Amino acid sequence: MTEQALALKPVPTRILTDKDNIVDIIEHYAKEDIGPNDVVSVAESVVAITQGRIVRPEELQPSLLARILCRFVPQKGSLSSVYGMQAAMNAEGSGRVAWAMFLGMLGKLVGRHGLFYELAGEQAALIDDVTGTMPPFDKYLVYGPADPNGVAEAIKKRLGCYGAVVADVNDLKRAAVLGVTPGLNPQEIARLLIDNPFGNASQKTPIVIIKNYGSAAQRATGQ
Amino acid sequence: MEVLAVLLILVAGAAVAVWLYIANQGDAHFQFIVDQRTDFTLAEITQAAATFKATVPFVNNGTQDGTLMDVFPRHFLPGEQFDAVDTDVRLTLNSANRSDGYWEAYIVPFNTGGAVILTVTFTAKSGDIREALKDMVDMPIDIIFQVVARSPWYIDKNRLVMTAAEIHKALAAGQQAAVR
Repeated sequence: MTEQALALKPVPTRILTDKDNIVDIIEHYAKEDIGPNDVVSVAESVVAITQGRIVRPEELQPSLLARILCRFVPQKGSLSSVYGMQAAMNAEGSGRVAWAMFLGMLGKLVGRHGLFYELAGEQAALIDDVTGTMPPFDKYLVYGPADPNGVAEAIKKRLGCYGAVVADVNDLKRAAVLGVTPGLNPQEIARLLIDNPFGNASQKTPIVIIKNYGSAAQRATGQ
Repeated sequence: MEVLAVLLILVAGAAVAVWLYIANQGDAHFQFIVDQRTDFTLAEITQAAATFKATVPFVNNGTQDGTLMDVFPRHFLPGEQFDAVDTDVRLTLNSANRSDGYWEAYIVPFNTGGAVILTVTFTAKSGDIREALKDMVDMPIDIIFQVVARSPWYIDKNRLVMTAAEIHKALAAGQQAAVR
């Protein structure tokens, strides 16, 4: 019997909204393609959208603190807009974000970068500002997903696959696994997804099946 | 008491320093440069309808990146003034043309810009567009845009005028091209 190779298979879907359940969607669009040795990965921003974790700038009331603190974030950062900063404050608490900003500045003075995102809470790093995802959600801020491990578990349970992950991947060669089922190596999965098979524009492929991952992992461990 | 006074002075000094930093940093500032727009040209004509297009440049001449959250045109042709046509006006980003009338939120780095294509379609109520446009009047069009940047979102607009003279000129040029 020939050994089947590891491969990434993007799955196109329609635009998903907060009316959708991500597990139902994966079952609908990808069930026939998913085998017992496959790992199902799903884009974190789409999981967040299906969870309703989105907000329009017009729905936020920026505080004076948000107006000040956003000025200290470099322009390319999602928290550099007053609404990105306010969204982070709403998610993680104004005090925590302000304290993280203060310590982050002190850290930079002594050459320690990235302290702000370490201390400000997970959502401060995960929030996508407007334009961060495809229409019609280009006019929304998108938070990080809730309970990504639980989402991954639910996918695995329903689809009977080897494992599942919720991944944050972009076109800048940055990949992180936010939610994962037990037994998978998040760093290894992130490396496999580094070329962003999801696409960040209008590809509409929020699901990527990592085919034959289970058999490859077993070969690697000699089982 | 002296300690309190020193603390107050330090807090006031810090507040002034932050204010100066923010004031010096500035913000995004957008403008649709309507006086540098191209003339409207005839893009398509049928017996009943004529479509004209023009390109309008825009610029973020502020000191910060900004996002054009939404941009849309608003024409002003009241029936009391001219009632021979139905008018549809839409625009799209020149560099990422869309045909659905949707404006995709677009980040514009400071000191850069782009252009939009403005499309105006007149449909004759009588069924003959050339006849209907004979007595056309000058028609103002506002380009309305919503901005998100460092400060809270705002809406602004720039106005241009699509003149009857250029409509007639574009129709004539289109007719000549069809003859050739």
